[in-house]
Amino acid sequence: MRYPIFLAGLIILIILALAFSTMAGFREVFEKEFLSKPWEVQLSEESACIGCHTSDIMRSEFQEIPQEWRKSWHYQNNVSCHDCHGGDREDATMSMSHQRGFVGTPKYTEVPDFCGKCHIGILKNYLKSGHGMAAATSKKGPNCVTCHGSHNIQKANIDIINERLCTQCHSYERAKIMKQALFVTENQIKDVDKGLVYLQSKGLYIENEKKELFRTQAEFHTLFHAIDVQLVQDSTDEFTKRLNILEGEIKDTFDEIDFRQNFSAFLMLVFAGLGITIFLYSKTYMD
Amino acid sequence: MWEKIKKGIEVRTGLGELIKKKQHEYQVPKDTNIFYTLGIIALVAYMIQAVTGYFLLIYYIPHSDHAFRSIQDIMNTVPFGWLIRMVHIVVSSLMVIIILLHLISLFIMGSYKKPRELTWLAGGCLLLVVLMFCLSGYLLPWSQRSYWATTIATNMPTAFPVIGDFIAKGLRGGDYISGITLTRFFAIHVAFLPPLFLLLIGLHVFLVTRIGLSTPAFSKSAEDEKPWTEYRPVSHTNSYPFYPHFVLKEAFMITAFLAVTFFLISFMPTLFIPEAANTPADPFKTPAHIKPEWYFLAPYQMLKLIPNKFFGITLQLILVVILLLWPFFDTKKERNILKRPVLLSVFLLLLAMWIILTVWGRIS
Amino acid sequence: MKRRSFLSLSLAILGSTALATLVYPLVRFLAPPEAKTLADKLSIKKDDILPGEAKKIQFGNTPAIVINIYGKGYIALSQVCTHLGCLVEYDKEKKQLVCPCHAGVFNLEGHVVSGPPPKPLPTLPLKVEGEHIIIG
Repeated sequence: MRYPIFLAGLIILIILALAFSTMAGFREVFEKEFLSKPWEVQLSEESACIGCHTSDIMRSEFQEIPQEWRKSWHYQNNVSCHDCHGGDREDATMSMSHQRGFVGTPKYTEVPDFCGKCHIGILKNYLKSGHGMAAATSKKGPNCVTCHGSHNIQKANIDIINERLCTQCHSYERAKIMKQALFVTENQIKDVDKGLVYLQSKGLYIENEKKELFRTQAEFHTLFHAIDVQLVQDSTDEFTKRLNILEGEIKDTFDEIDFRQNFSAFLMLVFAGLGITIFLYSKTYMD
Repeated sequence: MWEKIKKGIEVRTGLGELIKKKQHEYQVPKDTNIFYTLGIIALVAYMIQAVTGYFLLIYYIPHSDHAFRSIQDIMNTVPFGWLIRMVHIVVSSLMVIIILLHLISLFIMGSYKKPRELTWLAGGCLLLVVLMFCLSGYLLPWSQRSYWATTIATNMPTAFPVIGDFIAKGLRGGDYISGITLTRFFAIHVAFLPPLFLLLIGLHVFLVTRIGLSTPAFSKSAEDEKPWTEYRPVSHTNSYPFYPHFVLKEAFMITAFLAVTFFLISFMPTLFIPEAANTPADPFKTPAHIKPEWYFLAPYQMLKLIPNKFFGITLQLILVVILLLWPFFDTKKERNILKRPVLLSVFLLLLAMWIILTVWGRIS
Repeated sequence: MKRRSFLSLSLAILGSTALATLVYPLVRFLAPPEAKTLADKLSIKKDDILPGEAKKIQFGNTPAIVINIYGKGYIALSQVCTHLGCLVEYDKEKKQLVCPCHAGVFNLEGHVVSGPPPKPLPTLPLKVEGEHIIIG
């Protein structure tokens, strides 16, 4: 063969010509199949609500809602408009239809039931608490939105108990006492969480431990909503015990990771030493 | 006593004489460099994979409900299961790197030319078999990465007009990845590919030893210039026996390879295990940044770039065929690549493009 | 020659260390696991659970619940919600298991009825022997 590059080029051209000629009507079907979801990964489409609520026809306070929501913990967990407000997720014409369960903006007194649709345990404790009873009788007591906001809802943390929010109705003194009662357990939960995140970054699969931590944290936060300092103090021991068990498991896993690293590092050194020895040995034959 | 045993075996098998001929009398050119050992390292890597694979087989369960959990058990419950699995993962990627380096160094040294074309062809087929091993292997943990990367890979044959769908369905065992796919890929990985690999490697090693190692093209003592019209083993003027010189060189490189393996296991254990590979497969949830394994990133990125998918796949197939049959296209006798600037620049360009596509595929 | 024999000796030592360090894990890996103690089973009295009622138990590491379903018999389910891990509560009137964290609802066979849980509740093996229910 005299000009192999040319021959290769010719073969390519022939195949291309064949390809294009047979391809005519095939392209649409192919693109639909080939470019379907697993290939071109799409994140979940947004609710039909977002389209109108971000457009300029909306009043500015409604227009701001989607971007507030996008900063929230709900957004990170795929909880969107219709999950709380009802309405159709996909069909914009039915997105505010009462037939699809749309409830609109809840009135001040309806807020606890609105959020309690999902957060059942917390609603139960809230209604029994001083906060819940104040809200039921005077219609002016604190509801969920008072402390947590409505659309930019962040992950619950101990600093929601602060002077600005709590002094709206009473002195900060009693809030401070509650915060102190929660403090130790909250810190321990944070430490355990940090430990689990570290383990996950090391490639370990820790679903059971994560679930156990979430369960403990959720029970602790649900307990808090009864707004009873004595109850929190009495339960702290039990929570500490559970968290101590988790901490023990995490520590054991840390030790295991260290052992694994040491073992494979030892093997690495043995083989490196073996390599050097072989190299020197081979040099004794180079004469 | 030992001498009597050795003599007894020698009389009955002629083993000593065979070893002497193969090891001591087999000559190796004096200026071989370490790149000459890459082949044996690839073979050792395969043997490590086979051994660790057999051990993993004891505890792995090839069923979609149990696969992920059985791997977690191997990692956390079975004593030293983590070591076996980590070796299997790290060596699989290192093996592909070694084979690619082997390919590149052979190309640059022109060692594929007559009479070694069949060796190159067998080696090319071995590369494809190894890539099939890798593809079928990483579905087995049944993680998010396994499931979705395999979905992409099995969608690629649909590019072909008539038989595409049939091929894709045959691979997957249906319209989408399921437990049937898992058992198919498991059978491919464990039972179908190993004999194929051993057949090809037997052929490859036979050819290498039968023809003899090539002298480096850059050295002063180039091989005979006489035309290859009849079989003759290569004769080296400036050489030393295979044993112990070359064997020690090989042993050194093998221990270096093992040291690198254990370095990666100790200090970079999550290099080949992204988070998606540590989450159980969820057919209803596509992770945001799913990517195939690094050795498939270049073809993946190329397909994403070329607007016409059929053209993309055909182009890749053509490139593979050209690679396999290259010794038959390039028949010039000149083995020193520095004297062939066009070939060298085209080769370096293609290599650079492959690296760029891989990195691009990784970061996009 | 002295250098060569010294190096041969170090080769032998390092080689056998490497071999031992590789063989030890393989032997441990292959060794059969210790027999699981039979104390993994839990036994409760049938009469403790009236029809329509449920009883919470601790099965090893897992909190679980045993329900006496009207007309169907006993079932033991893990109480750990498959969403994020909170413990589900038995709702006697609605004959459901409801998770108080995000309102995941399971029917009495453990299948998801509504809410965020991605998978059904795992069932625990259960046997009725005479006056006792054996779980595990």
